Amino acid sequence: MSAGACPRAFEAEAIRDGRLTGAARASFERHATSCAVCAREFETLDRVAAGVRSLPYTPADELHVRRERTRLLAAFDRELVAPEHAPAARRWAFGAAMIVAIAGALVLLNMHRHDAPARPVEASRATIHAEGAAVWSERIENDREIVRVERGTLSIHVDHTQSVRRLLVMLPDGELEDKGTTFTVRVDGAHTTRVAVEEGSVFLRLHGRAPVVIEGGDVWPHAALESPASASASAAPSLEAPATVQSPQPRTPGSTVTAPARDPSVDFQTAVAALHRRNARAAAEGFSSFLSNHAHDRRAEDAAYLRVIALQRCGDVRATREAATAYLRRYPTGFRRAEVEALAE
Amino acid sequence: MNVRRTLRHPAPPAGAAPDPDILRRLAGGEMNALGELYDRYHETVRRFLARATSNAEDVDDLVHATFLAAAKSAARYDGRTSCRPWLVGIAAQLLRRRRQSFGRFLAVLTTFRGMRATTTDPRAALQARTEVGESLARLSEAKRVALLLAEVEGLSCAEIAEALGVPIGTVWTRLHAARREIRRALEDGEAP
Repeated sequence: MSAGACPRAFEAEAIRDGRLTGAARASFERHATSCAVCAREFETLDRVAAGVRSLPYTPADELHVRRERTRLLAAFDRELVAPEHAPAARRWAFGAAMIVAIAGALVLLNMHRHDAPARPVEASRATIHAEGAAVWSERIENDREIVRVERGTLSIHVDHTQSVRRLLVMLPDGELEDKGTTFTVRVDGAHTTRVAVEEGSVFLRLHGRAPVVIEGGDVWPHAALESPASASASAAPSLEAPATVQSPQPRTPGSTVTAPARDPSVDFQTAVAALHRRNARAAAEGFSSFLSNHAHDRRAEDAAYLRVIALQRCGDVRATREAATAYLRRYPTGFRRAEVEALAE
Repeated sequence: MNVRRTLRHPAPPAGAAPDPDILRRLAGGEMNALGELYDRYHETVRRFLARATSNAEDVDDLVHATFLAAAKSAARYDGRTSCRPWLVGIAAQLLRRRRQSFGRFLAVLTTFRGMRATTTDPRAALQARTEVGESLARLSEAKRVALLLAEVEGLSCAEIAEALGVPIGTVWTRLHAARREIRRALEDGEAP
């Protein structure tokens, strides 16, 4: 260390690190008041520290922080709250891998009626997760896998690398054909009430209605694309956003041309920026507006979740609970379901 | 002349639960307590790890592991007013274990390949736009961590030694070497 001409300059660092205490420290402090070299040594050490503390750092964005928080709490619940189940769960998972082929053959031949909490069922290429008291069955017929849903909600992931079989989901009021995807279908009272496609696409053919193609990120009703023969699609937004956020369509006087569509990326980032600036009210309004204007955007679930968070930060308990309930209704298998459920109570 | 290091970190907002209370609830298995702890200190832990490790991809996993480890050892928390140094110490321990594990893995791998082991400290991008930043990036991870714990997080050398599992003399040596490099960078930056 460059310490000039004073043999005591090294003691400056010793004080900083706590190696010099008591009388020895007091002695050096008195010395430093009259020694330019040692005084400069203190200043240099302070500058080093200040330089390190002022290094640039880019904080994680709010969405990432919330995702990580959710992941942490899920891991805490899984690993720490019920640790006595972990060894058993690992043994079960290993055993399940050994018997899944036998279980798959039995599943294809039998009707399933479940009232207990859902469990995943491995089919030949489709992974099916039934929720609640779902009633459904599955069979293979020549080149097709047929899943019949009588009631309840199924989440289905199809692995097209395993087989060339088509997957057909028979509904009480129609059928749904998979084209290579992950999707969720819900049936209530003999009617298909919701289809949400995470990736890929599906054909939905309901009796008396035109076929509908539902792409990844879309939710039906309000699918992005219908065949030309269909009548007007249902138009009302499915999420219970406040009515005041419906944006009017501006028109040039005397013109019939509508204004250009809003850019969803700009709207989403604007709302996120407000949340990051801790302007919760503006963020909540921004996300509500995004959901009204871009209900089919792939970030709609993120926006619905962040709207809940923003309202929570506003301290509006009632609005938070309503937004959380709306999120759970629209995204019953949503990534942040566990966290939002706590806010909906 | 102020010869005492005084680092002031933001205090929890007025009316917020004290850290020892949160840790006590966390020790009792209360998930909300972990959420509160995360909300209060995730930025601190993330900032330390982002600057300490040269592998940016590790930061999320290490932050995650830090809070889980804190939850597991919450019952042994000593009740200090602020648990920030304790959390950062956990993060530093995890960082050291990860580096050692990777180093052992790499040594085994290169032994089988008949090659000499290369550095276990992949120097991916630290955002170093200043001389100090560049100099910090060039430091070994051990020196960099010691310097960050001392000068940014305000841990005493005894706390750093305990967190890193090394003798306190090793901490002094690492700090001295790290400061020397940073000083050199500052002096070079000021040279006409």
